[in-house]
Amino acid sequence: MFWILIIILVGLAVYIWSLYNQFVTIKTRIRASIQEIGNQLKRQADLIPNLVSSVKGYMKHEKAIFDELTEARKAVMKVIETEDAQKLINAGSRLQSALAPIRAVFESTPQLQAAGPTAKLMDELRDTADKVMYSRRTLIDLSADYNIKVVTFPSNLVARLFGFKLEVGLKMPEGGEELEVKEEETKTPKVEL
Amino acid sequence: MINVYEQVDRNKRRSTIIMVLFVVFIAAFAWVLSRALGYGPGMVGVAFIFAGIFSFSSYWWGDKIILTISGARPADKRKDFNFFTVAENLSMAAQIPMPKLYVIDDSAPNAFATGRDPNHAVVCATTGLLAKLDRTELEGVVAHELSHVQNYDIRLMSVVTILVGMVTLLADWFLRGMRFGGRDRDKKEGNIGVILFLVGIILALLSPLIAQLIQLAVSRRREFLADASAVMLTRYPKGLARALEKISKDREVLEAANKATAHLYIINPFKGQKFTGIFSNLFNTHPPVEERIKALWEME
Repeated sequence: MFWILIIILVGLAVYIWSLYNQFVTIKTRIRASIQEIGNQLKRQADLIPNLVSSVKGYMKHEKAIFDELTEARKAVMKVIETEDAQKLINAGSRLQSALAPIRAVFESTPQLQAAGPTAKLMDELRDTADKVMYSRRTLIDLSADYNIKVVTFPSNLVARLFGFKLEVGLKMPEGGEELEVKEEETKTPKVEL
Repeated sequence: MINVYEQVDRNKRRSTIIMVLFVVFIAAFAWVLSRALGYGPGMVGVAFIFAGIFSFSSYWWGDKIILTISGARPADKRKDFNFFTVAENLSMAAQIPMPKLYVIDDSAPNAFATGRDPNHAVVCATTGLLAKLDRTELEGVVAHELSHVQNYDIRLMSVVTILVGMVTLLADWFLRGMRFGGRDRDKKEGNIGVILFLVGIILALLSPLIAQLIQLAVSRRREFLADASAVMLTRYPKGLARALEKISKDREVLEAANKATAHLYIINPFKGQKFTGIFSNLFNTHPPVEERIKALWEME
């Protein structure tokens, strides 16, 4: 009888232990993906000045576009330190929409596409944007897993024991425009040499 | 429908079965030969050891052997920017370590994955693929290959390539040797010619078994499953669908592929080309591309 009790207690302890580890692991990975979003946004922001100087010659009369780009870049730089996923994503999507007119000019200007540096910058920007997208998705998936564990029985008991709370979900910026992939966006611009 | 974990278990089990079968097969083969030629049983022991070593290396160095016979070079982040970054992003999304990337200099677009587990995986693409597909299509292809990595398809397919493929290539080679100029060699080498002839005949007789093994490894479902998991990663079925269309419409033939490695590729590298020789009808390793593309469009 005594031994059965011991076995049950040990089993329980192992169960609680493994759940605790799961909670901590998911939390660490959530943090890592937020940091990844921050890193990539920082890279984007760092690429902007070069991009601006390389396309400026082709967009002489469009000061408003560059102003907005500079503002969006500043906004990104400001929130990077905060590690607040929601703020990061909002700032990131503002930067994305500020970049849209530049992309349009790039796609309609063969000289720009032929010049290596700008094409390289556009490639880099596409890659950082992809990385932000995938990190955001990882973040959302992980948070969902985590939250399910926090609220469902019996893991919710362990969560309460160690004070794990629901992770706030992400709200997508209004319109959610960047969530939909447009057909032409998925095609890499042709480079005529 | 089986889930991913069952698929992983099944692949691991089948890899082991094939490795054991290979050793048994070679030992039995040696026994038959030694009986036929009047040698002692020592030959069986030697064959057993060799087959064991071979089987072991197919597991351990299968990826390297395959890369070497395909003539691949390591990918470079600057030169193969899209390939590199797409693989980086998708392995992050799939939550597996980034595989090593290789490139084959061949203008026919195609790709394959190899390795023994997600920690020792390789994804290989041809320069033709990298040049002809845009980034979105490339994402589809790389996601398909990463699904093979995640499902442990790579382990089974590498072991099959090295072991079963080797037997196939040998049989092919022996039979061809018999057909062309067999006479001359017979005169010079006498006994060897007879042995080669015997080996060829026995291997030819065994071809249904070999075919069975290949079918075991490359079921049509495997490709459909990898397509479906690829879409889970990219959430954009059109990308892979467009890529498959482009690859299958391309008329160039991949020179780097041979009968042993053909089943590894995302699309059968021999395409419309008819096989010559005795094993030709056994290599219907891929489901028709049209069916795969249709399935992808239906996911929209």
